[in-house]
Amino acid sequence: MILKSFVTAVIYFLFFSSANIFAQEIKERTETIITESFEKDVNFTFRKYTLPPNIKRKIEYIVKQKFFKDLLYVYKISLNDTAIAFGFLDNVIGKSMPITFFVLLDVEGNIISTNIIKYREPYGGAVSNENWNEQFTGKNSDSDFTIGKSVNGISGATISVNSVTKGIRKITLLYEEIKDDI
Amino acid sequence: MRYGFATLTVLVAMFMLQNIGFSQEFDFFEPHTTLGGYGELHYNYSKTEDGKSKKILDFHRFIIFFGYAWTEEWSFKSELELEHNLVEEGQGELELEQAYVNYHHANYLGFQAGVVLVSAGLINEYHEPPRFFGVERPFYNKVIIPTTWFGNGLALYGFASGFDYKLVVMEGLNSDKFSASSGIRNGRQKGFKADAENLLYNGKVDYLGIPGLKIGVSYIYNNAKGDSTTNQIGLAEFHAQYQKSGLYAAFEVGNISYDSGDIEASRGFYFDLAYDFGRFFQIQSKIIPFFRYTDINTAAETISGGNSEKEYHYTQWMIGLSFLPINQVVFKVDYGKKTIELGSVTTDLFNLGVGYMF
Repeated sequence: MILKSFVTAVIYFLFFSSANIFAQEIKERTETIITESFEKDVNFTFRKYTLPPNIKRKIEYIVKQKFFKDLLYVYKISLNDTAIAFGFLDNVIGKSMPITFFVLLDVEGNIISTNIIKYREPYGGAVSNENWNEQFTGKNSDSDFTIGKSVNGISGATISVNSVTKGIRKITLLYEEIKDDI
Repeated sequence: MRYGFATLTVLVAMFMLQNIGFSQEFDFFEPHTTLGGYGELHYNYSKTEDGKSKKILDFHRFIIFFGYAWTEEWSFKSELELEHNLVEEGQGELELEQAYVNYHHANYLGFQAGVVLVSAGLINEYHEPPRFFGVERPFYNKVIIPTTWFGNGLALYGFASGFDYKLVVMEGLNSDKFSASSGIRNGRQKGFKADAENLLYNGKVDYLGIPGLKIGVSYIYNNAKGDSTTNQIGLAEFHAQYQKSGLYAAFEVGNISYDSGDIEASRGFYFDLAYDFGRFFQIQSKIIPFFRYTDINTAAETISGGNSEKEYHYTQWMIGLSFLPINQVVFKVDYGKKTIELGSVTTDLFNLGVGYMF
């Protein structure tokens, strides 16, 4: 009987968790980045933020890239009940698959870090390189994001570089619009 | 006792479902179809020393990319190519350049099965017009790495710690069609009822850990076989590309060794130097003049020796300009002079082109 219960539990686990293993990886990786990005112990809260249609349209028009969905995921990172940073988890489409990325901003809207959380394409995986992502640190909504000028490309990853760069710029613009709301 | 175990089962299931519900929020994937493509229209003008000239307008390539993703791991990707506008009486080509099932286990490991690409050099896998300088693909990528080189087979690929690798096993080459003028190029079977007796083995490693730099090597081995010949070939090549702060530089060098027939080796190299002057203006566009030097000899070493080693030895310099109003559209112009070592015969080349990718 114990064996039967154990087997049943294992079946439940395999059936449901195998379909969600990627989703768990994304959540764990994102939250690990948050905890490792700050020296002191910080608290963070997570919420889904529905994009106001007028703001969404405005940013999409400026950047020339649509948002992946009508909502994105926002982390508020606090120290002693004071917000010190915000994290945005979003996706862009590469050549054919979504690229999941995470942008950490300080309260002034300056990029603390960008990370590729999940890359699903056979080509262009180099956009997940830390030293490529480091070039975004310090940029904000007023910065230039032109590839080849202010943002270096990656040989063999043209489409992914274009998509991710636009995705990051969208986040900096979005923060300026919604910072009082989050 | 019985109820105890049942309760345990239900509790475990509820716990699992609760966690799954939360983690599902982070599952962004949905099955979908992808459409893409690229193409290029060329104007080619050439004039030889004796005054003979040729002018051609050619929609060289029209490619449709079609893909479908069932899951994050399993997808299908394909490229169908029409060359030179039509297929008629041996003119033009309709080719299935890529058509494979892709299993993406993780960034560090994936698998492809179907019509796959050889992994060698800078252009064979990344051949869309905005990605390279010059209206035509570099001559090196015609006769040393015969681009686009594809065939029926399998591939393993991955990216980890700045290293990008790919291993390919696919149909081999037809050695009957090797020639002094074009090396192994005409030996590609292109997936057409391909003779699978002697498979081709290919491995490539690139390092991309330094921003702007790609540097790599590859090797291809095939005991090529035709109806009347066999010829064991090995293609070793080195490639490097640098793109940073407006500077563009590319270098490729390769050597093909043959173990039978008159040709013992084909080899060549080229390098590009370019700079984006668009960065000095407040515009999105790129304005990139470039210089290329090429040295190719498809019969670099022959058993017969003498003039046979000079007849297909080309050197070429080229200057040109790529104008990209947006990153996906390019207008090109180039001018060059090609010299054949035997007799120092020169040909002037002038090309115009427009290309796109999406």
